[in-house]
Formats: sequence, structure tokens, C-alpha cells
Amino acid sequence: MSQTDIKEEINSAAEPLLPIEKKLIGWSLGIGVSLLVILIAVNHFAPITS
Amino acid sequence: MSDIAVKVSEPSLVQQGLLNEDWLAVAIGLLVFALALFSISGTDLLGWAVTTSVYTNVAGALAPIAKAYAGLGGVLSLLLTYAALLLVLGVGVSTLGADVRKFALAFTVVFAIAYASWIAGSYAYIAAVTPAEQQKFGVSWSLKLTNEGGFVIALLSGLVIANFFPRFAAWLKEAIRPELYIKIAIVILGATVAVTAAGRLNLASSLLLRGAAAIVEAYLIYWAVIYFVARKWFGFSREWSVPLASGISICGVAAAIATGGAIRARPAVPVLVSSLVVVFAVVEVLILPFLAQTFLWQEPLVAGAWIGLAIKTDGAAVAGGGITESLIMAKAAAEGIKYQPGWILATTTTVKIFIDIFIGIWAFILGYIWTNHIDKGPDKAKAGEIWQRFPKFILGFILVFAMSLWLAVGTTPEIAKALPAAAGEANVFRVIFFILTFFSIGVLSDFRKLWQQGFGKLAAVYFVSLFGFVIWVGLLISWLFFSGFKPPLVS
Repeated sequence: MSQTDIKEEINSAAEPLLPIEKKLIGWSLGIGVSLLVILIAVNHFAPITS
Repeated sequence: MSDIAVKVSEPSLVQQGLLNEDWLAVAIGLLVFALALFSISGTDLLGWAVTTSVYTNVAGALAPIAKAYAGLGGVLSLLLTYAALLLVLGVGVSTLGADVRKFALAFTVVFAIAYASWIAGSYAYIAAVTPAEQQKFGVSWSLKLTNEGGFVIALLSGLVIANFFPRFAAWLKEAIRPELYIKIAIVILGATVAVTAAGRLNLASSLLLRGAAAIVEAYLIYWAVIYFVARKWFGFSREWSVPLASGISICGVAAAIATGGAIRARPAVPVLVSSLVVVFAVVEVLILPFLAQTFLWQEPLVAGAWIGLAIKTDGAAVAGGGITESLIMAKAAAEGIKYQPGWILATTTTVKIFIDIFIGIWAFILGYIWTNHIDKGPDKAKAGEIWQRFPKFILGFILVFAMSLWLAVGTTPEIAKALPAAAGEANVFRVIFFILTFFSIGVLSDFRKLWQQGFGKLAAVYFVSLFGFVIWVGLLISWLFFSGFKPPLVS
């Protein structure tokens, strides 16, 4: 892959987001935020002990 | 995850090297740990290794780690340490197919410059922290960087070579192996973390549980947002966006290459992305520890977790955790608070290790989606790829950690009492591998080369993601999970 190829490729026209990609992003964020809320709750009820 | 930056024309070598370097790191890390353990039985096999103290007269800076070897003197101890490392690493890299003669020559220079940087960082005007230390060394002022300021000097030395002496940097290439060095260091670090944890098992296990938040954040939140930013805002193709999101959100080369391979991207794409990750990691490691010292010194564990979440290569993150620990402990000491060492670095390492563990699984998930729903073809993702892409050096860390913890809490009081000294001897080598990592990262960071390759748009994604999102979300999560909890005080 030459330097010119890279430049051209990086600046080439965008591929539209496919439904499966939107699902991946949506599910990742949804699960991630939900798990974080659960972990925050666990952290609240079982705080770090020293 | 890692710190290698290579020529575009050598992707296959990088992929092979990553797999082999993991096992080599495990072997060398375990060797150092095993030799250090002999000191428990009274046979000190590593006591000759060199250590550096803060000094005003450089003649007194170096000494062997063990008093039993004091007769060697500092210079001979340094030469022995160099020779031992050259021998072990020379044999090691020969198994990777490296040119051992070239490696030996280059390593000699790398070790000399890197360790000279470390010695320079221990100069009292740079390292002395408290007024008492300044008085002890007879200096009226100092930069208060602690002796770990030597890491920053090693990094800067490497950057100067990379950006002003590119032919010299190319000549050093055979010994510029930050990924190998940091993986060995992390395996060895398992002993120190275990010794630290054994003193406060409740606190350690609580911290370990918090590592789960790091996994959620890196894989499910960072990745999704950065992928969206790269695809939607910057118009990158899927082939570029996946390694880019993985490199920025998870950890550098291994994540970029693992996920790039999983979606069947051309090998050069993740390698190029990795080069960018290294450059940004350098910038981060030069800035974030000092910000942590200024703004988070009263929340040391928040600072440790934040460094682990914000800096996106194992080498820079874990070594950055080391600098952060020194800077925060120095600041706290100046305020009359003396924390036990090891906890901030252990927090950074825990966060990073937790993130690393899931690289293989995440790569498989992406591979499954891509090969079944996006680029359908005969080459489907297989479950075996999870193990294939698993960063094996973590097994070394876990083994050393588990053995050390067992020795500390599950054996006799005599062994438990002798273990910290043994871990301390191993830690001398951990520090040396950190120094080599910092210098090597610097040598790989040729900023001009990246701009010449038209990386502006890639860098823009990184910049927007890092400073607009990753750093702040990492800080928030670290604060939510670690605020209010301090490392134990020195009794």
C-alpha cells in the first residue's frame, strides 16, 4: 500500500452505515450503559473496603 | 495494547512477532521471577543487579541491589546487568528469527542511552521531592520528578533520535522492541502487585472487582462511540474504522491487529493505525501523569484507574501509572502523607489487564458479525480465533501473581517475610524493562513520518475521540468507582 494509495483511500467517498452496524453500535452502547449502571449500584452497596 | 510501530511493508512479520513475543515475554518474566525466588531460601542469585539512587555525585549513584554484593561496586554491577540482559534477550530474540549480531550491537546502544537517561533522572536537582530530601542532598531547588523522571528523559531521548536522527533510529531497530519489554515487565510486575495486595487483601479484591467497569467502558462504550465517529463524522470505511476504534478504545497494536484480522482487513491497515496510537500514547504519557498529580493527588486510585483507561498502549499506560504513582506519592509526601507504594500502579495495571483479557473475545464477536453479515464469504470466523488472539503474556502475569500471593498468605511466616525482598529484586528488572520500553516508544515515534503519510484525518479522529470523550468518560468512571478510597499509609 503506497503513500498515495493511503491518502486516496482515506479521503475516498464514505460507505453508508449498514443496519447491522447501527445495531452493533446501539446494542453495545445499550448494554454498556446498563452494565455500568448495575456496576455503579453494586459499587454503592458493596463499596471498596480497606 | 502495545507499542510497536513498523513499516507498512512488514505486516506479516508483525503479526507473527506478536504471537511469539507473548510467549517469549512469559518465559523471560518467569525466569526473572524464579531466580528472584531463590533468595527466599537464602541463595541470592539476582543481588548483583544494578539499582540507582538519587545523587548529587554520580559516582555514588549506582550500586548492586543486595548488600551481599556491595563489593562489586556500581559500575561492575551495571555491566553485569547489561551482560545478563544481553544474553537472555539475545537468546530470546534468536527464537523470533532476529539477527542476533545486529540485536546485540543495537541493544548495547539502546541500553546505554536508556540507562543513562535513568541515571540522569535520579540527579537530585531532578528527583529530590521533599524539603527533607533537598536538605539531605544539599540542593536548594529541584524539579521534584522523583527518580522516575528518568522514564520521561528516556522517552524524550528516544523522541529526539526518532525525529532528528532517523538513520540512527533505523540502525537501532533490531533492539527497539517496546512490546516485548513491557510484556516482560508486566509478567514480573505480578510479584510486586501480589506482595502489595497481600497486605490488604480486602482492598485488593475490591479493586479487582472494579476492573469490570473498565471492560464495559473500553469495549462497549468507547468502541461504539469511536466507531460511530470514524464512520459517520469522518467518513472512514469499515476496514479502517474497526482497527481505528479498537486501537483508540481498547489498547493499541494488538487490539487493532486482532480486530483488523478478525474482519479480514488488509494487514497494513491496522499496522498503520497502530503507528498513530503510539504517537498519541507518547503525548498522553508526557501530559496525563502531571495532570493527575496536579488535580488528582488527593484521589490516588482515581488517578491510577484514569491513566489505565485513558492511555491506549500497555507500555505507555503501565509505565505512565508508574510515573503517576511517583508524582502523586511525592506530592502527598510533601503534604506529610506517606502512602504505601504500589497501589496506584497496581490499579493502573489491573484496569489494563482486565481490558486486555477480552481482546480475543471482542475480535471474535466482530469477526462473526463481519463474516456472516457484512462481507459474507467462505472464510468464516471460528471460535478458535479467541485463543489465537488472546494476549498470552497475561497468563504469565496471572501465574506470577497467583504464586506470589500464595507464598505471601498461604505458606509459612518466614517465607511471607522473605517474599518482599525477592519481589524487590525482580522489580529491579521490571524497572529496567520499563526504561527500555519508554526509550523504545520514543524511538518509534517519528512524528514527521506520520504527517507525510497523510494521516491528518486519522489523527483528527484520534484527537476528537481522545480529548472530546475518552479522557473525560475515563475520568468520570474512575471517579465513580475509585473516589474516596486511598492506598494504605506507611505504618
